[in-house]
Formats: sequence, structure tokens, C-alpha cells
Amino acid sequence: MEFLRILTKTSLFLAIFLLVSFAVPNANAADKENCLMCHKYRQIGRIDEKGIKRSYYVNENIYANTTHRNVPCRDCHTYINRLPHDPVTEEVNCSNECHIKPPFSKENFSHRKIIKIFNKSVHGIKKGDSEELKAAKPYCKYCHLNPVYRTVAEERIAPTALNRCLNCHERKGVTAAYKHITHRLRRKTSRSPQEIVQLCSKNCHADIEKMEKFKVSKESLEAVETYNESIHGKSVALGSQEAADCVSCHASSAIHDIYKKDDKTSTINIENRTKICKECHDDINERFVQIDVHPKIEDDPILHFVTMNLTVAFYGTVFGLLGLALIETVGRKKDGIKWQIRRGTTWRGRSKHWLKKYGD
Amino acid sequence: MATISEDIASPADTAELEGNTTYVEGVGNIPRNIYKYVKSDPLGDLPRYSIHIVIQHFATFVTFLVLAATGLALHFASLWWAPIVMKLFGGPDTARLIHRIAAALMVLASVYHILTLIGGTLQKILNRKFDINRTQIPLLKDIRDVVHDVKYFFGKEPYRPKMNKFMYKQKLHYIAILWGTFVLIAAGTSLLFPETMANIWPDPRFGQNLARLMHADEAIMAVTVIIFWHWSNVHLVPGRFPLQWSFLTGRITREHQIEEHFMEYIENLKEIPEEKEYMKKLLKEKGFDSN
Repeated sequence: MEFLRILTKTSLFLAIFLLVSFAVPNANAADKENCLMCHKYRQIGRIDEKGIKRSYYVNENIYANTTHRNVPCRDCHTYINRLPHDPVTEEVNCSNECHIKPPFSKENFSHRKIIKIFNKSVHGIKKGDSEELKAAKPYCKYCHLNPVYRTVAEERIAPTALNRCLNCHERKGVTAAYKHITHRLRRKTSRSPQEIVQLCSKNCHADIEKMEKFKVSKESLEAVETYNESIHGKSVALGSQEAADCVSCHASSAIHDIYKKDDKTSTINIENRTKICKECHDDINERFVQIDVHPKIEDDPILHFVTMNLTVAFYGTVFGLLGLALIETVGRKKDGIKWQIRRGTTWRGRSKHWLKKYGD
Repeated sequence: MATISEDIASPADTAELEGNTTYVEGVGNIPRNIYKYVKSDPLGDLPRYSIHIVIQHFATFVTFLVLAATGLALHFASLWWAPIVMKLFGGPDTARLIHRIAAALMVLASVYHILTLIGGTLQKILNRKFDINRTQIPLLKDIRDVVHDVKYFFGKEPYRPKMNKFMYKQKLHYIAILWGTFVLIAAGTSLLFPETMANIWPDPRFGQNLARLMHADEAIMAVTVIIFWHWSNVHLVPGRFPLQWSFLTGRITREHQIEEHFMEYIENLKEIPEEKEYMKKLLKEKGFDSN
């Protein structure tokens, strides 16, 4: 019995020793309460009542590089108040206050302000909404998916500027803060235009059947199609970083304030449109904003007529000219010309055909 | 008229003499199908284009290809080859700049062409050398030429029509280029400067959509015609393969000039003494100088 106890102790000690010695020096996430004690295991998870496999694994390395790396788990998962905790039934509430103070602020940080803006927007859940519509509307995590919780790759860090910050601040924190700020100074959204277009279209605005259920206007129904046909859409599809994506026009710098165009607060309301167009196009006026951003050329009767005529002219010209080239080739070939251009003469002389018809 | 040199002329070489000869002072009666007997240099024997036209063609075709590649890749953004072509030009943001530079160069080439055209025409009028038959201006004769030529291709006529410096195909193509360039520049201006054009269009919404439609449609038309028609005419059809050097040398081969631009060849005979001598000698050799 004594031997067994010694063996257990030794093996436990050895196991811990090995674990410690082989452990990769990980980036550390804020985990004062040691939630990772359990959640660091890859296999941690269960099959829930509906038979869906659920993983509760948290990759510390990934988490430590995300925007939320300094937020302790329970700042968001507030409903956990004892260990081991009960099965989680609640969703995370992004409008919680977290126990982090931004620099030069006395208040704890919270997403509450932006959520307020979002709830007022067309995507926020309203009182009269049907259950189906409520379910279809996006919520924070719908767009802010897990992989994009990561910090945005910002390659061009100016060393001179950063070095001055290092006089007072720690390197690790200040690099992250610098990236966070400079990226947002340069661009309207952290995500590329391609990602934004994907996000708005896929499974949502491009899903015509789904959109039809909510009785959206004809313009909204065709919005993805017409955008992809527009010059902005085509440029973005090919990888442009300059052309306008959905958010460029449909929201102000608050990003989440998307409204229907009839709404007076909407950035694309005809009254406000000059302002939003001016973000890219200088020297514009109220005449410029009449130009279709989501053009549907066939909808205009005159342009439809023009298109039809151009199509007829196109095929007429191409087939007419090709026909001419064909009979010309046959005719001249029969008359005795060779294909290849030659020094001397390209002609064989009079052909048998010619001689038979017109004599010598 | 010199006597027939019997040692050279043989029955197989003798051209049909009845009908269809053209008398040129100091040369003799030239049979219509003399092009089958002349000797040609593929680099060109007779002058056709001035150095200005050669430069303009070069500038136009280089810019055209660049414009077509960058523009079509954007227009057909959803097709599989579009991203590949776009990548070659450094992505849409760079391609956009390239497209605009190429467009500016093409506009310059067009302006250059108009200036040469006006200058050259004025010079010819002042020297009393202006001849409408040697210009691109469409004439009634061109319609007769088409009918005649098609008949010839079907074997209903023995000879090709006697065409001017610019035959019906070339005049058609020239008008197409004038129209196409005008439409593309006008529509392109509206796409490039929507802010300014919004003040000019009576209805900016309609105007801009029209410009979008016309710019794309006209470009596709131009590219199709160039690839399928122009390239076949200058590279592929019999007697032109693999290419004609006129676009670089500005000179045309003798047999081509006589076959498709017979009236211009007659002018050449009057203007170039060496050509006159050559033709005189050839007629004598082949025994065409008997009548």
C-alpha cells in the first residue's frame, strides 16, 4: 500500500514535471480565475440534448492574440458564479461593462453605445417584428465572427512613432494599441471590402427567398445583384481596396447605423447622400447623387430599347463581316492565291476553275 | 509599241487579252489580272501610309489592347479569366490607372490623326493634288464595288473591281473606328468625370446609365470586330498570312496594290517613274504589249 502511494506520488510528480518542461511558452491571456485549467483541453466538450457535438475548448494562443485578450472570461460570461459551473444556457451580452478602463477614462469599457446605435438601426429588433424576422436579424456575433475577433494584421508600423510611445508605455500593449488606432484611422472598417460584401450577401441579402419573406422593397431584393453588376461591385470582386463596399455608403463612421433609404437618418437618404458620396467623390452636388449606384439598366425602357438595337447591330455586324471574309477567302482561293505571303508572287496563276469558265 | 519578244512569251504565260485592260500613257494596256504576274517584296513595294499614319496605328493598337484587356476584365469580373488578367495589371486599383493613362494616349493619338488629316488635306488642296478617290470618304462607287466583288467571289465576274486607295472594307472599318472612338471617348468621359458630367447631362441618372451601357457595348463590339475581322483580314486570309508589313513599313506589296487598289496603282504608275519602267518591262516580257 505504501509502495502504491509512493508510485502514485512519483508518477504524478513526473507527469507535472514533464508537462511543465515540455509546455510551449504560450502567449498569456487574461485568465486570473484560471478557467483555462479545464478549457485548455482540446477534447473538452459534450453531445448535447439535440445530438449536436459542442466543443468548449479555448485555444489560449489564439485568444491571447484577439481584441479581447485583456478581458477576463467572467466579464462577458457573467452568469458563471461558482466552479465547476452549471451548463451554460445564456448567451453572452455584448453590452456588458467589462472590468477594463480605457486610457484617460474613469468608466469601464462597454460596447453599449454602439449597441444602442445598432438597436435603432434597421437591423435592430423592433417591437412589431415577427418571430421569423427576429430570428433572421443579425446580432453582434452574426457579423463579428470568432476568427475576426482577432486583431487586424497591420504591417506598416512606423518604428519612429512607436519608439516614442515606448518611453512611457510597455511594448506589448502599445504595439497592440497602435495597430488598433492606425488601422481605424486609415480605413472605415477593419475588414476588407471583399469581406464586408461577403458578410452582407452570404446567407442574407443574397438569399432572395429569405428576403422575399420579409417583404423588402424590389430595390433591396435586387441589391446584391445590382451591386455586383455596378462598377463598385466589380472592382471589389476583383480585389479593389478603394472601391465602395456596402458599409461605405450605407453607414456613417458608426458602421452600425444602417437604415432604410426613406428614413431621414439614413446616410443614403437623398437629403444626406451628398455627404456620403463626398467620402470618395470630390466636388459633387445634388445632381451627382441622382446617379444610380445600384444600376439596373434593363429597367429603363429607352435603355432597354437601345440595348436591344445594339445586340442586333452587334450580331449583324459580326456575322455579316465574318460571312464576307468567308466568301472572300473562298473566292480568292478558287482564283488561285496561296495562303502564305511570299517573296515574288503569291499567285499560282489562273486556276482550272477560271480557265474552264472564261477560257484561255 | 515594241514588238512581241517571242523568245520570252509562251502560251501558258499569255494573259487573256480580250476586254478589261487599262491603257496608261507611256506604259501600255495593262490587263486587270496583271497582279498574278508581278513580282512583290513582302516588305512592300509601293508607298501607302505616311510615317504619321504608321505612328498613329501603332499608338492606337497598343493602347487599344491595353484598354481592352483592363476594361473587359473589369466588365466581365465574374468570369474565371478576369481575376487573372486583373492580376497581370496589378489589381483593379492599378488597372484603373493604367486604363486611364492608355485612354489619354489614345485620345492624343486621335487628336494627332485629326491634325494630320486636316494638315494633309489642306496641303493637297493648296497643291491642287486633292483627289476624292484617294480618300476615306465613302462614295457610290463603293457600293457598286461590293456588289461586283461579291459576284467575283461567287465566280460570276472574271475580275475584281478596280478599287481606289481605300476599298469598301477599309472605308467601312474607318467609319466604324471614327464612330467607336467617338462613343468610347464620350461615354468614357462620363465614367471618368461623373461629377462634372452630372452637371452636363439633362438627366444625370439616365445619362450615366447610357454612358455605362454604351462604353461597355461599344468596347465589346470593337474588340470583336478587331479580333474576328481585322485580324483575319490582315493576318489570316489567303495571301496575307502570317502578316503584312505595311503597318511598320507604310508600304504595300505590288500584287496587293494591283489586286485591291487598282486605281491607286494607276496613280502610282503616273507618279513613280521606276514603277512605270517596271510595268513597261513586265508587259513586254509577258507579251501583253501587243495591243
